[in-house]
Amino acid sequence: MKVIVMNCGSSSIKYQLFDMEREQVLARGSVEKIGLHGSFLINRRNDGDEVKLEGEVYDHQQGIEYILGVLVSEKHGSLKSFDEIGAVGHRVVHGGEKFKESVLITGEVLDQIREVIDLAPLHNPPNLKGIEAMQEMLPDVPQVAVFDTAFHQTIPPHAYTYAIPYTLYKKYGIRRYGFHGTSHRYVSKQACEYLGCHFEGMKVITCHLGNGASMAAIRDGKSIDTSMGLTPVEGLIMGTRTGDLDLGVLTYIVQKEELTLNAANTLINKFSGMLGISGVSSDMRDIEQAAAEGNERAQLALEAYAYRIKKYIGAYSAALGGVNVLVFTGGIGENDVNVRANSCDGLEFLGIRIDPEKNREIKGGKKGLISAEDSAVKVVVMPTNEELVIAQDTMEIVGRMKNKTVGS
Amino acid sequence: MTVEPIENYALKTRVRKKGGLQKVGLVGCGNMGQEIAHLVARNGINVEFIDLSDERIAEVFIELNQKLDDIIGKWGLTESEKKAILSRIHGSTDYSSVSDCDIVIETINNRKPGTSLEIRKEVFRKVEAVVREDTVIASNTSTLIISELASVLKHPERAVGLHFLPSAISGGVVEVVRGLHTNQASVEFVEKFARTIGKKVITLFESPGNISTRLIVVLINEACETLMEGVASASNIDATMKLGFGLQFGPLEMADRIGLDKVIKWMNNLYQEFGERKFKPNPILKRLYRLGFHGRRTGRGFYIYEKGKRVGETITCPEVFIH
Repeated sequence: MKVIVMNCGSSSIKYQLFDMEREQVLARGSVEKIGLHGSFLINRRNDGDEVKLEGEVYDHQQGIEYILGVLVSEKHGSLKSFDEIGAVGHRVVHGGEKFKESVLITGEVLDQIREVIDLAPLHNPPNLKGIEAMQEMLPDVPQVAVFDTAFHQTIPPHAYTYAIPYTLYKKYGIRRYGFHGTSHRYVSKQACEYLGCHFEGMKVITCHLGNGASMAAIRDGKSIDTSMGLTPVEGLIMGTRTGDLDLGVLTYIVQKEELTLNAANTLINKFSGMLGISGVSSDMRDIEQAAAEGNERAQLALEAYAYRIKKYIGAYSAALGGVNVLVFTGGIGENDVNVRANSCDGLEFLGIRIDPEKNREIKGGKKGLISAEDSAVKVVVMPTNEELVIAQDTMEIVGRMKNKTVGS
Repeated sequence: MTVEPIENYALKTRVRKKGGLQKVGLVGCGNMGQEIAHLVARNGINVEFIDLSDERIAEVFIELNQKLDDIIGKWGLTESEKKAILSRIHGSTDYSSVSDCDIVIETINNRKPGTSLEIRKEVFRKVEAVVREDTVIASNTSTLIISELASVLKHPERAVGLHFLPSAISGGVVEVVRGLHTNQASVEFVEKFARTIGKKVITLFESPGNISTRLIVVLINEACETLMEGVASASNIDATMKLGFGLQFGPLEMADRIGLDKVIKWMNNLYQEFGERKFKPNPILKRLYRLGFHGRRTGRGFYIYEKGKRVGETITCPEVFIH
């Protein structure tokens, strides 16, 4: 069976076509600048064929029409006809408290996704547009929604509740939801498989370190805490986001600089984090280069970045009552030798000891163990693959649905 | 990588109806025009503005740059967002450059005394001569009647009032004005456009001053009256209204921000229309105007400004003792 995985942003659509028998990507690509001047589509086939299609793409529906068009075309296609498409999986950012796992999309599910739009006003509406457009184009193909928040729905109330008036939680659903759930779920499971141990009974801490970054504490395969909150701004220091911040700081800045709500939002989301501290860039490679050349603020940023991760490792070890496996993933987690070494430095008392040699070797999309032989905690680098998880979930749900139909 | 036209990969042969808003035209790019250009471009839509000369167009870009830098200084925008915004704004002296726009908004900024009705009519005429038959033609005026401007059009049903309040960027609301001949499609198009750029839409039937201008000028005028009677200083009048009623600015501070020349012009238009004394500009307003104290823009109005900061009051208020 072939599955299309869709990730619709406000002005872009990313897609991958999977052959699920071999769990292989047949084609991947994206439509960019939808509804804007200069829109285009890039399609890359697994045999190396690449094409850029230029022209107006007015909305998501038209973008999806072109994606399907190129996928079945003789010249650049990977499908003979649409009949080969068994299902479509959609990434949906926020599932609120309604969705604890991936679901088959029905009219009711769509209504429920609409109900939580307020919690992710930038992300959920384009996700919805993508679903609606796909339904119109391929009305007979089952569609599945996979939520970024779903994996964290097992977090207990004492970990997700903010210490604000409880009525605000009741009224607006303000609580910790967490994000990158698909990635935390995938890499924790993969790491256990790689180590040859059972997911059950394991205490795992996962660090997804990319442009956005979050950590999760996972016991018996279930998330019990995560560093992002109602929005993706809480927790670790990120490229341009603050992560944890004294709320008093924000009200103080707003008052001193006479900021509007919009400016305050931009300040904590786009001017802060590694960019804010270093003044160099939000890109880790630029900051490391500047630090090597003696830039003190770049050095400070790197120290603060690793220190925040270390603090969370300590906190989540306490929350889990120990830790068996520590996982690094995401662009920085998979490649940055220094970040991994510095975050684990001094954690020998927890049983975490990095082998510098192994640590240096594992990068560029490789998976592997980077802890020393005598390290009680296994430290693993595990490349993430959110699209594959979406495709697998989609397969599973559609499979279940078919069995049901056969059974009845 | 090979590059091909995307149309070759369309699934359906039928021509899709153009759904999205691709390009907005602006005629006149003064202060308000620039704010609208910024707002529209920030929302990913291309802007083509028309102004009087190449020199003026160059000036507009210098002013826009400065405004965007000011916002960056206040953490409201990033450098790359600024570049993206500026890349979507183009200027021209030739009306034909707005011919492919989906909507053209007249935003001329006539600082000369007297009504700008005839100038705006001329703009409407010139715009209609170059645009498609379904292009909406809008005016940012609040005190002139949209039906009167539309009277020069061959298709008056496409004329809509679209009034951005100062400031267009931070203000959360726009007034969409339906004229006598305006059709539903044009109103709906403008409503959709305004929502796309993040505004709450208030649709109303044409009436001079709409809601916003009609109410604000009366408040400003009464503040002048209070000041003239020596009841309190400008800053105390403003502080009372600001703190007492939770306004963002006091009425006199607001007048300085809008520009006293503009306030007087609005009032004259409303006075002419309604004939009511409450719309007659107060003598203080006129005196300041004649002195060239037009508000923030000129460095002096009810208050004195240096480098954009308020440093003093123009009118000292004698305490009135009755023995």
